[in-house]
Amino acid sequence: MSLAVEIKRVYKTYTQGIIKKRKKNALKGIDLEVPLGSIYGILGPNGAGKTTLISIISGLLVPDCGIVKVLGKHITSDADYIFRNINMCSGRANFLWSMTVQENLKYYAMLYGIPNIEQKIQQLLDLFCLKEYKDIQFEELSTGIKQRLSLAKAFINDPKLVLLDEPTVALDPNVAMLIRETIQQFHKQKGITFLISTHNMEEAKILCDEVFFIFDGQIKAKGSIDSIKRDLKIGDKICIEFFENYPSNSDISDIDGILDISVTKNLISIIVDDHKVRLPQLLSNWESNIIKAIEIHEVNLEDVFFNFSRRANKN
Amino acid sequence: MYSLISAEELIKIKAFVFKNWIMAKRNIFAIFEIIFWPLISFLSVGLLSNFAGFSSYMKGFILIGVVAMSAIQVCQLDMAYVLLYDIWGKSLKHNFIAPIKPRHFLMGSMIIGIVRGISVFFILAFFSYTIFNFNIIVPNIISNIIFLVGIFLNAAIIGILVSILVLIVGYRAEVAAWSIVSLMFLICGIYYPIHILPCWVQVLAKLFPLTYFLEYYRSFYGFKPTYANILLKGYVLLFIYLSIELYLLDKALKRARIKGILLKLSE
Repeated sequence: MSLAVEIKRVYKTYTQGIIKKRKKNALKGIDLEVPLGSIYGILGPNGAGKTTLISIISGLLVPDCGIVKVLGKHITSDADYIFRNINMCSGRANFLWSMTVQENLKYYAMLYGIPNIEQKIQQLLDLFCLKEYKDIQFEELSTGIKQRLSLAKAFINDPKLVLLDEPTVALDPNVAMLIRETIQQFHKQKGITFLISTHNMEEAKILCDEVFFIFDGQIKAKGSIDSIKRDLKIGDKICIEFFENYPSNSDISDIDGILDISVTKNLISIIVDDHKVRLPQLLSNWESNIIKAIEIHEVNLEDVFFNFSRRANKN
Repeated sequence: MYSLISAEELIKIKAFVFKNWIMAKRNIFAIFEIIFWPLISFLSVGLLSNFAGFSSYMKGFILIGVVAMSAIQVCQLDMAYVLLYDIWGKSLKHNFIAPIKPRHFLMGSMIIGIVRGISVFFILAFFSYTIFNFNIIVPNIISNIIFLVGIFLNAAIIGILVSILVLIVGYRAEVAAWSIVSLMFLICGIYYPIHILPCWVQVLAKLFPLTYFLEYYRSFYGFKPTYANILLKGYVLLFIYLSIELYLLDKALKRARIKGILLKLSE
């Protein structure tokens, strides 16, 4: 299996302060492999080390120790090859404020030494629906258009690997959806490998083949969102309240995707992998007139991290 | 293959010419930088010389210093801006994940700096001739070129130094873009010959290549140079400083990647 990214035992410590030095261990022995042509996600809370990890892969940051290979080449000795074949897009896009959309694309195309710049820029303006904004200066653009420009810039050099650092943060749902669709389209058509850092579990589930959960500078889990949920026994919580006590003759244990069940008098709490799929299956077990209320709590990233924190405290 | 590599190199250098040109074109202060401030400074000093009743010989001495300093200031600002624009725009990281080397942004920014520096030189030369009746452009074209090349390489030394400082200490170094030149006003003999300075400052003045280029240019107007082999000394010092600075810039960039400064400057 060819790897787009291969990281072994990577550590990174930031030192702050001039006289009184403070150290912060941002990454503590990261191992990570991303196959070529895949979409992988890095999920983690603020300060977990996502941006540090993405920056190391992009060559912006040098790790204290460990091996970092990108597209089969070593990040320090073959930096030029890697820079030519990767690109990056960050959430909260920032570019030169006085340059128009078209000028910004032209500038970055030139940084990659790309000939036939005009043709390339026109293609990207079309693809990202930026044509009508091409002569507008960056500082006058809306957040969504800025982000589209950022994504367009990430494809300026026909990269083999694109690093996306929270690409849909602070965007309207429809713009976020458009960006996700573009990522999927590029992945399907051009076989580009994507490594996406995100807070959004739903986004990771839609886009990523697999994800890495990073917490406190360490990879805590790896796999598909569903398999991680299963492993950690976390999932959507369905609470069903009955008018009377929970019917003792009920047998729901053979339903797939149930991770945990707890019953108290007239209330049953069930943890399932996906409430949309499991709720109808569960409800088919009871007459509707004995159910008083149903409450659903979708699992989110906080639940996962809460789970990690609890485990870490236990350890 | 060779021509292909050269074409790519040229495109990368052109990128920084393009950036500095667009950013300057859209910035009203850029006009102030090449016309307003140099002209105010030039006219003030020229009128002061008139008021003080300086001879045209003395006036010429001072005006040459002011013109040279203005050209250096404008050119070095362009070189400093090449990183500062991206720092202010929080877009520095996009530059350094691209396959560029310091030579690309240094050469690109220097080209636009030279264009702006030459503009300042000729604008001030025009006013010098029309208002103060003093021709700053010496008849010998080669000598003009030797002087201007020296002036712009002096600007490069300051511009690169600012870039090094920016990569080491970040935002706090931006003040260097405007302040380092002021030090030269004091030491290199812009308004006065360096032999009037205290001995220890004269030693310092000898370390600045600009001192020798000013002496060289003024020699065409009858001012006897303080030192021998001024051009040789000037260019040797330039070569030494540029070599050291290019080495340090490379080190500063590597250090910035280790310390996370590129990332911090993009947030």
